[in-house]
Order: sequence, then structure tokens, then C-alpha cells
Amino acid sequence: MTWWDMLVPLLAAAVQSGTPILFATLGEIFTERAGVLNLGVEGVMLMGALAGFLTSKWTGSPALGFAVGGLSGAGLSGLHGLVCIGFSGNQVVSGLALTILGTGLADYLGTPFIGQGAPGFDPVPVPGLSEIPAVGSIFFRHDPLVYVSYAIPPLMWLFFRNTRWGLRLRAVGEYPHAAAAAGLNVSAFRWAGVLVGGFLCGAGGAYLSLAYTHLWTSGLSAGRGWIAVALVIFAFWHPGRAVVGAYFFGGVMAFQFRLQATGTHIPSSLLLMLPYALTILVLVFSSWRGRGDQAPAFLGVSVPPGE
Amino acid sequence: MISPFRIVKREAPLAWGACLVISGAVLFALGIGMGMLSLQGKPPLSGMGLLLQGAFGSRWALEDCVGKAVPIYLCSLGVAVAFRLQVWNIGAEGQFALGAVGAAWAVYRFSTLPGWTLIPLMMLVAFAAGAFWGLIPAFLKLRMRANEIIVTLMMNYIAIFFLDYLVYGRWKDPSSFGFPMTPTFPDSAVVGRIGGTNLNWGLLLCIVSGLLVWVFFRHTRLGFELKAGGQSLQAARYARLPYENLVVLVMVLSGGLAGWAGFIEASATLNRLQPSIMVGYGYTAIVVAWLAQLNPLYIGIAAFLLAGLRVGGENLQLELQVPAAFGEILEGLILLSVLAASFFIRYRLAPRRRS
Amino acid sequence: MVKRTIMVMAAVLWCCGAALSAGKEMKVGFVYVSPVGDAGYSYAHDMGRKFIEGQDGVTTAFVEAVAEGPDAERVILNMARKGYDLVFATSYGYMDPMLKVAQKFPDIVFMHCSGFKTAPNMGNYFGRMYQARYLTGMVAGSMTRSNTLGYVAAFPIPEVIRGINAFTLGARAVNPNADVRVVWTKTWYDPATEKEAAKSLLDTGADVIAQHQDSPGPQEAAQERGVYSIGYNTDMSAFAPKAHLTAAVWNWGPFYKEMTDAVRNGIWKSGAYWYGMDKDIVDISPMADMVPEKVRTRVAAKKAELIAGTFEPFSGELRDQGGTVRIPAGKSMTDAELLGMDWFVEGVIGSTQ
Repeated sequence: MTWWDMLVPLLAAAVQSGTPILFATLGEIFTERAGVLNLGVEGVMLMGALAGFLTSKWTGSPALGFAVGGLSGAGLSGLHGLVCIGFSGNQVVSGLALTILGTGLADYLGTPFIGQGAPGFDPVPVPGLSEIPAVGSIFFRHDPLVYVSYAIPPLMWLFFRNTRWGLRLRAVGEYPHAAAAAGLNVSAFRWAGVLVGGFLCGAGGAYLSLAYTHLWTSGLSAGRGWIAVALVIFAFWHPGRAVVGAYFFGGVMAFQFRLQATGTHIPSSLLLMLPYALTILVLVFSSWRGRGDQAPAFLGVSVPPGE
Repeated sequence: MISPFRIVKREAPLAWGACLVISGAVLFALGIGMGMLSLQGKPPLSGMGLLLQGAFGSRWALEDCVGKAVPIYLCSLGVAVAFRLQVWNIGAEGQFALGAVGAAWAVYRFSTLPGWTLIPLMMLVAFAAGAFWGLIPAFLKLRMRANEIIVTLMMNYIAIFFLDYLVYGRWKDPSSFGFPMTPTFPDSAVVGRIGGTNLNWGLLLCIVSGLLVWVFFRHTRLGFELKAGGQSLQAARYARLPYENLVVLVMVLSGGLAGWAGFIEASATLNRLQPSIMVGYGYTAIVVAWLAQLNPLYIGIAAFLLAGLRVGGENLQLELQVPAAFGEILEGLILLSVLAASFFIRYRLAPRRRS
Repeated sequence: MVKRTIMVMAAVLWCCGAALSAGKEMKVGFVYVSPVGDAGYSYAHDMGRKFIEGQDGVTTAFVEAVAEGPDAERVILNMARKGYDLVFATSYGYMDPMLKVAQKFPDIVFMHCSGFKTAPNMGNYFGRMYQARYLTGMVAGSMTRSNTLGYVAAFPIPEVIRGINAFTLGARAVNPNADVRVVWTKTWYDPATEKEAAKSLLDTGADVIAQHQDSPGPQEAAQERGVYSIGYNTDMSAFAPKAHLTAAVWNWGPFYKEMTDAVRNGIWKSGAYWYGMDKDIVDISPMADMVPEKVRTRVAAKKAELIAGTFEPFSGELRDQGGTVRIPAGKSMTDAELLGMDWFVEGVIGSTQ
């Protein structure tokens, strides 16, 4: 097997492995654009994975499971919204609390279901497009949710750029006091950011238990939520670049296994560090180039009611 | 619909009342926990009773709680130092790991030294290793403007894999039948027990460090500047040290303290290095630090309570078959409740007057 | 008159004694390193626990996800203090903690799985899973077309390495050209990671996937690609009916019953209990329809030899990955050598770290 023979499968694996990260990154971009920092993505993904898994298991419909996974993500993020927007709590610590709570809750509720399967999404090649050499295998031989994920970045980009609501959301993240003075309900927009973003993060988690595998376990997300938070910065809060980042990371995760499979004697512990070390490198590189201040100006800053 | 109350910022944040608010939040969270128990068909009141009994109901349980609280306390102290400057060090877990690795390195490199030189040497190396692991995110934050939350978090994963690499590889005990653990520490490298109890002298380290940090926060100008600098960069400008140096200082202290926690775990509790030394103390430490409002004395209480949560949770598992994750849920709920309740420390509700 | 009273009392006491010993209440505790429902290692132990639960006055309880080290010591100590009669600790890392507790409670029997230390009231036990692995290797070697077998492995500890080696020896016994490629996931139960690892092996051309993992993730990967797979811990065919050929499974129930009975009747002796296929502690699950009759017969014959004790998988001549002879012809590996196995046999492609 030559390196070239392995490249196309690797890229295809990168796309599939990157899809849950992509959902989560897009969700966090949406939330942060509204000015709220939600560090609880990891916990939200896990709850979404569990909720989606259980729904599919009990109703037999993976599609419903996916939707419920997203909704539960929104629900859990709602707690973060309550604490940060309603009670002006510290957003960093609240996000961490959400991670701990989400992880624990998913473990607690889901422990009886470890080791069981549920109906899920299987790969469905797109007729015609999947026959294109190389590109077809890489992009068009996946499960339907991957195809759904192709649609979201352009839609989000259009939303932020061209729609009234999108521009208002951005305004709330950038100049909340001016926006309030102009009559916008800052809290409501922040809530929208948190809930919609939470939905997408939960959906990303549901992808893991409904499409990537048809199983659930504690720790299914394995740090992908955190990688998504980092990727938001790498993407400069832009949905298009999020795609590049997510697939790159999916690729790294897939790559280190393939490297092992070739029989290398590099200890696996070192190889397993790769995705996380690379996240740091990517983050440093993105921040250093100075465009770290492309962040929404009031990201993470509480705007208490009455001020 | 206009609510009958409006929100008014307090002239000064609640002082003593803060304790009440936080205790109330903790009880609220425990109440939700009881609700969850009953949802699963387990008896809520006796469930909580079992939790408390398992944690505090006997001398050996109390000793176990203190034993667990020691590393949590040290990590948490470090976290508090960093958080005070609003440097969000989430990396206590990784700094803990590096500290344990550093201590182990000192043991194997200098194994022939007598205890009274070896242990201080281990402490020095553990502190330095943890501090180093904290210094990297500080450097990246200052020079490259990299968000320290993500860097420290990623470094947690890297540190754990590094520990694995050593323990599966070059440091593996030849007599451990291929299982990943280092050779047992010689007695000279073990921090001993206090008298006939199950407590170890790490407790002393906690008390001393806690006192030093408390004095530092309250009675030194630098400590005050940390707090001011945390609240606004402008205030930081008037500090004696430039902001950069403050960041480096807190991350070095923070990492070093967490490194000491790793040293204690490796030396006193496990007497060796193995992957299962990592049980999430670094993350619990964050909850504890926030609960305690970054105050070294309260951190002691909170660390003890959360250690009790872990210890008591095992009793719940044994008696009621409650899943192990219950303790984690309680931690998350407590933190969220405290965060929400903190609102009332800074703001109060005043009745709207009809004009 | 006095004599009659004494006789009656003696009779009553004797009856009580007999009643006590017959339905003597026994509390048996289990300590697991991972959550019980993982359809894997801890699950298999828990199946064993459920087997003895309720029989002859036995009540059981367990604590799961116990970290090795001081937590384990506390849990075992807790069980001892609550008056448990017999405690099983199911992970290697529980060895030293259990020993410490055993020394404090000489009247309680402690059994440690996969270790080597003993005490007058502490024994160790394990199962010769490598025998089952050898058989599954034979199946895999017979069914592969590409001569590449993929093995998704958890942690580089001796029992996993032993399993890989036995699997390879079995495969090459029927198919000398077969190679086994190994990928380490550093996790016991993480379906997403394990599935990705399996896919990476499939991309190198493997057409049978075996695993030392507790999740069916690799099984799913194999089924999706339309190739074969070998399960572990329990029969995993429900997850991959078209791919799953057989599985190397544990059967702890009878062993736990034997130990419980021994302790109850006071005949338990400390020592190393490393039972094999002859005692039913390990086995292979029923083979799928895809496996041809010829292969079944061959495997069944080898199984009989293993049970009879006439065949030892780890016997000479055995070479390691580098070609050096580790076990000369005519000799077999001792139990001690097996317990500490840290090298791969010829035919395995991968690192032992």
C-alpha cells in the first residue's frame, strides 16, 4: 500500500471525523458572535449524544434522534444562558460548570445504556457525484448528516452577512450598549445565540452516537468540544474557515491511527498527543497574526440587566 | 409585564452574607441531587444520608476525606492565585501530572539520598516541573495572545499522554509483569503518615502554603495589585510590576502548587507513578476555588467538602447502586448554583416604587 | 432429666448449626475498574456476579469505575468493614491495595484478578483467554483473502499482548502468510476512537478485524466495509451480524460459584487460579454461518486438544518480531513468562508501546 493509496481514504476519514467538530464549531461561532462565551461545548455534545442515542433507540428514528440531540444541547446551554445572561455570572466558570455537569449527567443517565446499540445513519453515496474520482470518495460517500453539515456554513455566512437579524446579532456582540440604546433587546439576542449555538453543539454530539458510531459511551466526545472552542478562534469567527479547521482536525485524529497501522515504532502515547498539540500550534498561529481581535468586542463580558 | 422588582447594584458586595448565599446555593444543588435520586427510584433522603455517612460518618472516612482534600487543596490554591488576576488556568490537571513526573524523576535519579534531602529535592523538582507547565501558557498568552483557557486545557491532555509514555516505556517497573507502573519509591522518598492516623504530612504543606498565600493576598502590595489588575487592565498599569510579570508570576505559582499536589499523591498516597494517579483533582480544584471565592481559608473547607462528595459517593454506589457519575453531577450543579447565586452578592432586588 | 435436657439442647444447637451452614448468608463484593454496562470486561465479570446472586443465600454488591490506587483501597476496606465474606477485585492495579486490606482482615477472603501477589487469605485468578484467542486466530486466518488481519488493541499490557500473540499464532497455523497489524487506542471503551482505529486498519488492507476492546466500535467498522470481524468479551454479533465470525468470550459465573462455595464450606485455599478452557472460564462464541464447515471442524478439533491439555499455543519454536528465537523447540512458556509477556511474535506488525 503506497502513501498515495492511503491518502484518499485518509481525506475521506478526515471529512467524517471532522463533521462532529464542524457542527460544534459552527454552534460556538454563533454563540460567540452574540457575545457569549460558552465553554461547556464538551458537556453539551455529550448530552446531545446521549439524548440522540436514546431517542433513536426508543423511537427507531435516527432523524428524530438527531433533532432531539440538538434540542437537548439547546436545553443544557439554556442553563448556561440562565446563569450568565439572567444572573450575570462569570461566563468562563459557568461554561466549565456546564462541562462538568453535562459530562456527569450524560454518564449518570446513560450508564445503563452503555454497550447497547441504536438505529443510526449509514453511509449513502450521492448518486452521480460519488463516482467522481478522488473527490467523490472524499465528499460524497458519507452518511446523510455529513451532507447536512455541508449546508450549514454557507447558510450561516449568509445569515451574518446579509440578513437583518444576523447583523443585529453581530451588533449585540460588538456594541451591546449602543445596540441597547438603539432599542435592541440585548438579552434576547444573547439568548438566541446561546440556544441556537447549543442546538448545533448538541447536534454535533448526536452525530457521534448516531452516525459516526451507533453506540454511546461516557466520554464519547474525547475532547472534541474543546477543540471546537479553539477552532472558533482559528476560524476568526467565520463559518467558512471553520470547515477547513474541522476537517484538518478530523484528519489529524484519523492520521495518527493510520500511522500506527503502518507499523511505526513511535510510541502510541506520543502519537495520541498530536491533535491536542496541533490545536495549540494552530491557536497560537491564529492569535499571533494579530487577528485575535477579530473576536466580537464584548465576547465574554456580562451585560447585567439595568446597566 | 413589568416585574415588581428592579435590580440594583449593591454599594459594596456582601461580605458575611456571601457565606449564606453560597451555602444556600450548595443546599439548593444538593436538593436537586436528591430530586434526581428519587427520579431514578432511589430514596432521596436516606440516599443523601448515605452520602454524608460515607463521607463523614467515621474516623477513617474523615481521614480519607482529608487525604483526598490535600491534593485538591493545593491545586485549588494555585487556581485561585491565577484566577485572582483573571488568568484562567484550567491546566491544574496537567501541572499536577508534571509535578508527579518531576518528583518521580528526582527519586529515580537520586535514589541513594537520605530522606531529609530527597524529599525537599522532590518538592523542588515537582514545583519546578509544574511551574514550567504553567509558564508555557503564560508565555503563549503574553507573546502570541493565545487564549490561556484552551492552551492550558490542551496541555492537560498532552501531560497525561506524556505520563503514559513514561510509565509504559522507559520508567516501567521490570518486576511489574509488564503492567504500566514505575518501581515503588524507596522509603526515603515517601512522605510519611502523621502518628497513628491515615493522614500524611502533606497536610502540613497545605496549611503552610495556605497561610503564605493568605498573607500574600491580604497583606502584601503585590497581592492587592493582583486583585486590582484582575479587575481592570488600567489598574494593572499602576502596579509596581508590569502586567506581563504578574501573569508570569501567577502561572508559575499556580503550576508549582499543582505540581506539589502531584508530588504528594505520588509520594504519600501511591508510592509510585501509574496512569491512575490522574483522577480529575485538577478540575475539581476549579470548582473548589470558585466556591471559596478564591479565599485560602474557605478553599480548605470547600476542598474538604468536595473530597467528601467523592468519598461518600462510593458508599452510595455500594449501597444503592447509584452510578459513579452522581458525584460529578453534584459538582457541576453546585458550581452552577453558586455562580447564579453570586448574582445576589453583587446585586439586590429592590421593590419598584410607583412614582 | 438433666441428661435429656442436654441432649435436646445439643440437638437444637446441631440443627441450628446445620441450618446456618447450609443457607449461610454470604456477602460477596465486586470491584470493577470500568462501568458495568460496557458490554466488555466489567460486564463479563458482572454476568458472573449475577450468576451467583441469590443462590444459597448469597447476596452480592459491586462498586464500578473505581480508580486503581487509594480509591480502590478504600472501597475494599469499606467492604471488609461492612462484613463482606469474599471480595473480588477485577483489575491488575487493585493488587497492592487489596493486599494491604487483606493483611488487616485475616478472616475475609480476597481474590484478585490478573495479578500475582498472594497472602494466606488472598489468592489471584485469571482465565487463559489466550486459548480462545488462538482459536479465533485460526478462524480469522482461514477467512482472510488479503492475508492482513487488523487488531484494535487497548493498552500495551501483558494480557493484551498475549492475546495478540495467540491470535497471530493461530492465524499463521492455518495460513502462514497472514500478518497481524496492531493499533493502540489507549482506551478500554470508546466506540468512536476504536472505530476510527479499525478503519485505519481496514485502509491498510485488513479484511478481518479483531479487537481487545470493550466496545463494538471495530465490529461496526468491519460491517460497514463488508469485511469480517472477531468480537471480544461477549458475543458481539448483534452489532455486526454480517461481519461477526466468532468472539473470544469470558464465562466467570461457574468460577465465582466455585470460589463462593469453597469459602462457605471452609475449604478455600490461597493460590493462583489460572483456569482455562477446560474449566469453561473462556470460550469462543458460536460461529457465524459464513464460516465454512471445514474451518469449524478444524477449530473444534483444536478446541478439544486445548481442553484435554494436549496442545499448548505458546510452545517452541517461537520467534519474536525481530526473528530471534525466544522459545526453543520442545519447550513451552511458563506461567510466569506468560504473565509478563511484553514482546510480539513473528507476524505481528506494530509496536509494543
